[in-house]
Amino acid sequence: MNADALVVVRPGLGATFQDDGRPGLARFGVPPGGAMDAHASACANRLLGNRPDAAVIEVLLQGARFEACREIAIAVTGADAQGNVPLWRRHVVGAGTSIEFPASRDGLWIYIAVEGGFDAPRYFGSASVYPRGRIGRPLTAGDVLKHIVSGPTSPRIDDGSTIQPRDYSHPPAIRIWRGPQWHLFEPADHHALLQQDWAVSPSSDRVGYRLDGPQLGARVAPIPSQPVLIGSIQIPPSGQPIVTMRDGPTVGGYPTIGLVDPEDLSWLAQCRPGMTVRFQSAE
Amino acid sequence: MTVSPYGPHAVLLRFADEPGEDALRRRLALIADIERHPPPGLIEYVPGFVTLLLRFDPSQSHQIARAGGEILERLASAVPKHLPDGPIKTIPVVYDGEDLTTLADAKALSPPDVVRLHSAPIYHVQLIGFSPGFPYLGELDPILHTPRRATPRVRVAAGSVAIGGEHTGIYSVDSPGGWHIIGRTHVRMFDEACAATAAAPADAFFLRPGDRVRFVPVEATKA
Repeated sequence: MNADALVVVRPGLGATFQDDGRPGLARFGVPPGGAMDAHASACANRLLGNRPDAAVIEVLLQGARFEACREIAIAVTGADAQGNVPLWRRHVVGAGTSIEFPASRDGLWIYIAVEGGFDAPRYFGSASVYPRGRIGRPLTAGDVLKHIVSGPTSPRIDDGSTIQPRDYSHPPAIRIWRGPQWHLFEPADHHALLQQDWAVSPSSDRVGYRLDGPQLGARVAPIPSQPVLIGSIQIPPSGQPIVTMRDGPTVGGYPTIGLVDPEDLSWLAQCRPGMTVRFQSAE
Repeated sequence: MTVSPYGPHAVLLRFADEPGEDALRRRLALIADIERHPPPGLIEYVPGFVTLLLRFDPSQSHQIARAGGEILERLASAVPKHLPDGPIKTIPVVYDGEDLTTLADAKALSPPDVVRLHSAPIYHVQLIGFSPGFPYLGELDPILHTPRRATPRVRVAAGSVAIGGEHTGIYSVDSPGGWHIIGRTHVRMFDEACAATAAAPADAFFLRPGDRVRFVPVEATKA
């Protein structure tokens, strides 16, 4: 059973269905996808008692607006875009209520879950939209989004309490592991990676986040294309690191100096362009 | 041959020093070995040109270095001297791509020469990447090796047959692309509709690692 949940009035800077992705298809050139901030996405579902892998809407920054088709419980987590819905808690909206995100203040990615989970199209078992690979499509104005009508599958958090929000303006030092080409870099590169400040570049998206800072690996040449895990810190000839994100290429020819710990990738994902991040060793 | 840790749940096996026929033999032997004897907890394997990624279930990733070492040991004793004769998948191509003449001119060849050189070999799928189902095919005749375009095209149509560096490939979805387009095929590397329905994900892809390919020139009406 499903029923109309929300209408997309406008998608703003971008809105897609996401869930926990489709890992296991990299050898066919399909990246794992999934919510950029897996923590916030999972929390939104948990607040409603949804399955952890229920489909949510991932919204980039500000501008998106939705309207409720009926009285319905929703949970909004992730970035703070000065919306009219309280964050990190279950919240019931009435039919016709507008849900909007006018001005981005903190973080990049907003997650909207509805009770039961969105009834989104699935590709290889996942609702995660991967526009560059022509798997699904972004939401557009006028889309009517349905939800699955069923009782919660796990206890929901409906006593008005919240999940502790994350302060995306002050991320912790992000834990990293040594990558397969760590040893090709000089000790000075290792030191700079772990000790210097790195600024998130404006040319960052679901494919990769570029980091501005000291130039690394001046003498390390490209390598024959090798498999790339999400979270990989690759060093192109410019010396400015690129962190592979969830829609990133499955193979690549830049040496990989490190790997962001899978648990910490959601912190990096919410870092806005211009923000400074630091790394620390996970080993 | 080495085993490098790649984060808490994966290792990267390096099975050859440089791409080429020896690397291809080793890669095919590794894939066959892993398909026959998947190590406990393996979630997926991903081939590169001279490397192979093994990614494990986080709850079972404590033995990954040993699993990688054992696989490489078996490889050392079992690399075949000849490439296996797997099935060959035929791909009809209309050689009328917009870069065919330019590429031929740059090599001091005629377009029919390029077609002959490109359609002569039986290619191996070296790896699949860039976009869903996009195959990197080799060995391409060295005469046809061509650096990628300085400025990639904003949109290359799915089915475009192209040359990039030392490889030839087939665009699997409409996407930006920097390879030189020499032809087109109606065969789809990635069936997007199938992604919504396929029981086995592999059914949505025309090629998989280890497959072989032959291009057959056809007239425009037949492709």
